[in-house]
Amino acid sequence: MIRAVARALTLLVLLAGAARAQPAPASTPQLTADISTDRVEITTGFTGASVMVFGATERLIGAESGEDVVVVAWGPPQPTVVRRKVNVLGFWLNGPSTVFRQVPGFYAIAATRPVWQILPEETRRTARLGLDSLPLTASGSQAPAFRAALLELKQQDGRWQEYAHPVTIAGGRLFSARVSFPDTVQTGDYRIEVLLVRDERILARQALFLRVDRVGTAASIASVARVDPVVYGIVCIVLAALAGWFGSIVFRRN
Amino acid sequence: MQVYLPIAEMSVDALLLLGIGFGVGWLSGLFGVGGGFLLTPLLILIGIPAPVAVASGANQTIGASVSGLIAQWRRGNVDARMGAVLLVGGFIGSGAGVQLFALLRRAGQVDLAVAIFYVVILGTVGMLMVRESVRSILRRRRTGVAAAKAHEHTWLHGLPFKMRFRKSRLYISVVPPLLVGFGIGILSAVMGVGGGFMLVPAMIYLLGMPTSVVIGTSLFQVVFVAANVTFLQAVQVGSVDIVLTLLLLAGGVVGAQFGASMGTKLRGEETRALLGMLVLSVALGLLYDLVRAPDNLFSIGALP
Repeated sequence: MIRAVARALTLLVLLAGAARAQPAPASTPQLTADISTDRVEITTGFTGASVMVFGATERLIGAESGEDVVVVAWGPPQPTVVRRKVNVLGFWLNGPSTVFRQVPGFYAIAATRPVWQILPEETRRTARLGLDSLPLTASGSQAPAFRAALLELKQQDGRWQEYAHPVTIAGGRLFSARVSFPDTVQTGDYRIEVLLVRDERILARQALFLRVDRVGTAASIASVARVDPVVYGIVCIVLAALAGWFGSIVFRRN
Repeated sequence: MQVYLPIAEMSVDALLLLGIGFGVGWLSGLFGVGGGFLLTPLLILIGIPAPVAVASGANQTIGASVSGLIAQWRRGNVDARMGAVLLVGGFIGSGAGVQLFALLRRAGQVDLAVAIFYVVILGTVGMLMVRESVRSILRRRRTGVAAAKAHEHTWLHGLPFKMRFRKSRLYISVVPPLLVGFGIGILSAVMGVGGGFMLVPAMIYLLGMPTSVVIGTSLFQVVFVAANVTFLQAVQVGSVDIVLTLLLLAGGVVGAQFGASMGTKLRGEETRALLGMLVLSVALGLLYDLVRAPDNLFSIGALP
């Protein structure tokens, strides 16, 4: 009995603390958003996928009201090596390299206006909005050319996107944006953030979560190969041998 | 029709893979070689990462060679004893080769190493094949008969640890076959090839084996060494893509039938000359890739 009262009191104190820390929410939220799916499945026929991020704002979006919507998506970190080719005796081979440890495997940003027009540099940096605001710290050669090459190549293969898709507005308050994943997308947890921006400030933000998973045959093959490579290796040998043997039976002439 | 390759982590047109399998199978049926030396560069060309191309190429070689091995075994054309000795060397060689491969991968030089191996080995073998076959074609034109090669005694026959190989009618030291097996094993691991195109001439010219048992015995060695490479690559590098392998084999077994029926219409020297030119052109193509200025000096990759 006493314990139950104590627990209720603790809960009350916690709630009060939480209420003080966050100002009481307005009757209608300034921003509501959701995604079309919280799971992207990599099947055997996977060629990439796209999800729709959509939502509504309390006030009108656009130049008159000065409100903008930014949608940004991150994938799990993927340490990446950038290598530079050098010419040795007429042959081109991989020379110096730089490792970028903390870079997202996937990054996409879409906005009603480019973020550098609507937010000061400091805010962009802390919220990591825009490819130029990503903290691309490198170990190894620090030449800025490596950083530039990383940005260029990641955008080329579609794993980093800057304003590749527009944020479309309907009825002044409904917005939607497409986030598309290439076929080389990594599995893992993805985070999509929707931000409402006015007067160079982030007014509201909402985080949405998405999981990219292999399913079906592709999933079982990849997991067996990783978890039990000995079994996988043997299965590969046996399957290849059977396929060859089967072929010779089917096509045997005489 | 796109298909997702679970280990390469990318999707590729299945018809393209079937087509490559068919083409390589056709050539391998025509020339009686595994065709791995064509397959791996083609896979790299269409964007498959080099480690996956090499490992899956070795896996495909098993399938492409196993039916030939069964046929040769039935006809009694396999010198199992010689095969076993070659295999001991082959296992050690492929084990060392996979270690070398993992090392190169960490150093970020896999693509370069694979390309250099291809250029040097294919260039040399291709030139030797073309020269030898052109000579024998010319000789036949002049004399009307192909000259038979006499069984020569070289320093190789003076080595210790002699062993009797009844099927090959040889009494030679086990050192040369061990070394030959070892060398082919390394090539198999680094290049993703079976090595038949090198093993056959090595058996004829270095070991002096009779031609009748050469094909069967080389297939014996190729199948088991490729199996070993597949296993080691799967365990150590984790780069064998079974979906890729099976698609290539599906095209390959069909192509091989067409190639084999066409191959019977060609003369031996002509076949060898054509094969030599093919090998040589693959080598030259890869050499060109190494020396031409790259489109982009930079490349990115996942941290191994």
